[in-house]
Amino acid sequence: MILQPEDFWSFYEWLMRPESFLESAFLQGIVLFVLAIVIGLMVGYIISANRYGPGEGFYAVARAVRDLIRFDLPGTSAHRVFALARLAFKEAIRRRVLFVVGLFVALLLLAGWYLNPESSDPARLYISFVLTATNYLILALALFISAFSLPNDIKSKTIYTIVTKPVRPTEIVLGRMLGFMAVGTVMLVPMGLASYLFVSRGLNHQHLEVVDVVEEADGSLVGETDYVQDHKHSFTIYPDESGGIAQGLTDVVRGHRHIVTRDASGNFEIGPPEPLRARIPSYGDIQFFDRGGNRKDEGVDIGAERFDAGGYGSSGISRVIGLSRGSRKVQHGYVEGGTLGKAEFTFQNVTPERYPNGLDLDLSLRAYRSYKGDIESGIRGSVTMKHPTKDIESNPISFVINEYEVDELPLPLNPEGTDNNETRKLNVFEDLVDENGQLVLVIKCLDRSQYLGVTQSGVYLRAGDNPFWWNLTKAYVSIWLQMTMVIAFGVMFSTFLSGPVAMVTTFACVLLGFSAEQVYDTRHFIDSGIERGGGPIESMVRLLRQDAMTTQLDVDTTAAKVIKTTDAGIVYSLDAIATALPNLPKMVGTAEYAASGFDIFGALLLRHAAATLGYCLLAFIISYFFLKSREIAA
Amino acid sequence: MDTDSTVVAEAEPANAAQAGNGDSDSGVVIETRNLSKIYRDFWGRKKVNALKSLDIEVRRGEVFGLLGPNGSGKSTTIKLILGLLFPSSGRVLVFNKDASETSKNERIGYLPEESYLYKFLTAEETLDFYGRLFDMSGAARKQRVSELIELVGLQGAKHRQLREYSKGMTRRVGLAQALINDPDLVLLDEPTTGLDPIGSREMKDLILSLKKQGKTVLLCSHQLADVQDVCDRVAILDQGELKELGRVTDLLKVQDVTEIHTKRLTPEVEAEIKAIIEREGGECTIDNPTATMEDLFLNIVRESEARPGARRVSGTSTPQKTSDDGQQAEDNQGDAGQ
Repeated sequence: MILQPEDFWSFYEWLMRPESFLESAFLQGIVLFVLAIVIGLMVGYIISANRYGPGEGFYAVARAVRDLIRFDLPGTSAHRVFALARLAFKEAIRRRVLFVVGLFVALLLLAGWYLNPESSDPARLYISFVLTATNYLILALALFISAFSLPNDIKSKTIYTIVTKPVRPTEIVLGRMLGFMAVGTVMLVPMGLASYLFVSRGLNHQHLEVVDVVEEADGSLVGETDYVQDHKHSFTIYPDESGGIAQGLTDVVRGHRHIVTRDASGNFEIGPPEPLRARIPSYGDIQFFDRGGNRKDEGVDIGAERFDAGGYGSSGISRVIGLSRGSRKVQHGYVEGGTLGKAEFTFQNVTPERYPNGLDLDLSLRAYRSYKGDIESGIRGSVTMKHPTKDIESNPISFVINEYEVDELPLPLNPEGTDNNETRKLNVFEDLVDENGQLVLVIKCLDRSQYLGVTQSGVYLRAGDNPFWWNLTKAYVSIWLQMTMVIAFGVMFSTFLSGPVAMVTTFACVLLGFSAEQVYDTRHFIDSGIERGGGPIESMVRLLRQDAMTTQLDVDTTAAKVIKTTDAGIVYSLDAIATALPNLPKMVGTAEYAASGFDIFGALLLRHAAATLGYCLLAFIISYFFLKSREIAA
Repeated sequence: MDTDSTVVAEAEPANAAQAGNGDSDSGVVIETRNLSKIYRDFWGRKKVNALKSLDIEVRRGEVFGLLGPNGSGKSTTIKLILGLLFPSSGRVLVFNKDASETSKNERIGYLPEESYLYKFLTAEETLDFYGRLFDMSGAARKQRVSELIELVGLQGAKHRQLREYSKGMTRRVGLAQALINDPDLVLLDEPTTGLDPIGSREMKDLILSLKKQGKTVLLCSHQLADVQDVCDRVAILDQGELKELGRVTDLLKVQDVTEIHTKRLTPEVEAEIKAIIEREGGECTIDNPTATMEDLFLNIVRESEARPGARRVSGTSTPQKTSDDGQQAEDNQGDAGQ
């Protein structure tokens, strides 16, 4: 998982973007609200002017706004909202939506057929499976219950008995939204529990005996476990000198390891797999140096890394108005081996209190070979701990790069090192960390003309672990927030559209939210004159003519002009709509954190929560006006 | 149905009904001014002119009937009064408030044409839910719900979901929900449609008892007999226009015919009366009155409830009017005549 720069933002940075306010979520929210209000007033006026004439129409709109502020908002009673929410809840439950939970459990029972038992990382597979299944089931369900309920009530005229009671439109909208959110919550809880059981039980297994135990020259015992669930481990134990119980760890196979103990009488026992966990990373700031030792903003580009689109969404309004362009996606930057090229990471807040058990460095790096070399052994790199300002550094610690895996490298707390040409034993916290708690780690590639790829998120100090269940809970909170967003949109559309149409419209919004980055990408290519297939009409022409997408559009000049202008219009409108919609893929992406074993940071969840709240508020206001101005019996 | 209701305890005294007879403006509960409604299609093209410049006033304490054939604008009028539809022009005032205001609903009870209720709720849950919409406290709601369930006679079925109910039972729940807030104004859209003669008799008795408690009732119907039985005043609509408006007794009175009711008239007296009238130059026919089908039906049912078993069918005999029924009919007449 490669984190993007925006993933490192704190909640405040995301909300305000202190250096570039145009990119801030706050500004985007304000613009969205203002636009919604202006467009709402205009459309409202046109409709009511059509109905009552220009003068009376103006008063009708003014009255609706006044009613909201003077009567309907203050008059909204929590009691009635609760009654309506309870009704929506009961309706969903008595229509047996809980069957979906049963469906989910059935899916889990059958999952064994589909999940590859020989996967190299079954935990990731299991977790991403349960989270993805939950996510799509719940979103689909939210779509259905929210889009159909109100239109059904209007169609069956049960709404007549509601609106002829002292019930305000605000209460009807809020009641629906809250009721359906309660339904979703009631379903997510058992689904979460079932997921937890499925993952933890599914990964649990027991190795019963050891085989091929050999005593090495240094007295250590090396052996292997038996073959269970398509894998085995090898382990090394250093026997206790006083003859007591000796403990050792197996190697990591399929993302887990076991503790092996040997008691005084020589019996081995293999413990259960280590529990799943969520790493809490502490990331540093990255600085690249080229082969001559000069500072560079980026590492060496080995090609093929730039073609991925993405990261547009983080630029907010400034991208829509054309101030910031291009993808902001960060890929691996490479460091050339055997030269002065290196990547320096500056970590903050390195204190003994925060790292009581020593510094655990986790690495997920890439290797790029410019020649084949010795294909048997991996590319080697080294880590050096360095004082940020003084000339003190540890001796390099070398390692072999394991691609596509997280390599754990515990850093020694008392390494050998050089202090201004003097060689001595250093203490990390006293000699290498400066008074601000900063520590620099230098990563180099040792093999000449081979390359080592790093990203900011690829190198971090592990400040601790959170239990797996807590991380899973946070992943479920993220799903809950997505569900809330879909419910708010569904209820909003159902106040003025019929059930099926409301559902399709909500679905279209979800779909457009999911493909927003592709739309931004298309717009970027159009803006910068890059031939990459163009907009929808141009693409269709290319498809029919079987033209490649990077060639000049091969039609006559006028036709090309017409096509490109129309396409630009379509793409720009789609771009505006997609920007206004919630960034769902980002929210779905939190599942990736849980699957990769990373703690979902609070700031990320808080951002999603804030965005959800904003959209719900907007949907609530829009729903109010539609419901208020609607002739219920028409 | 128990018409002798203790439910509507805070009923206004009967003098409210008399106040309603006066033409004072304060007594006006519903007022429509030049009310028109044009139904349009999606493109704003005119489809139907459902209501044309309707001016009516419904006064406090009266039972007002809207009469007319299908499509005459009765339901449209009721929906406009409730704010379910917006007028194309003109205004509706309910309790001196615009019909679009939510707060007027605090004092209104509405029984829709068919009982549009949530089928997945039980009768008790339904009433409890509507009670909550009036912000009633838990204890008051509980008491009110059990009173209303008793009033409409559904004690035995209150825990069953409405999807299992017959049409008549659903209708009773619908009526109970309309009365949950002890409304001052009750709007009934086709109250007797779909009810059997007993149910429709009970509905009419209930309307009269509401009137006794000083409530205002507006009903629309095309069951003319029902309207005649309970309404003080009627408005007759056709094709969206008001055709006639006035007191039922005035509208129905046949001015040049006199009716005399007596009991146990001997043939001698009968001949004597005939002779007197003919001497004065009048025309006279003397006959036994026929009871209504409703009376016949209700008598049979009551009798069979008192003495179950096969009834001896007397093909020729007309049923005896019980003194009780006669009293009831006279009461109705008396009320209407005030």
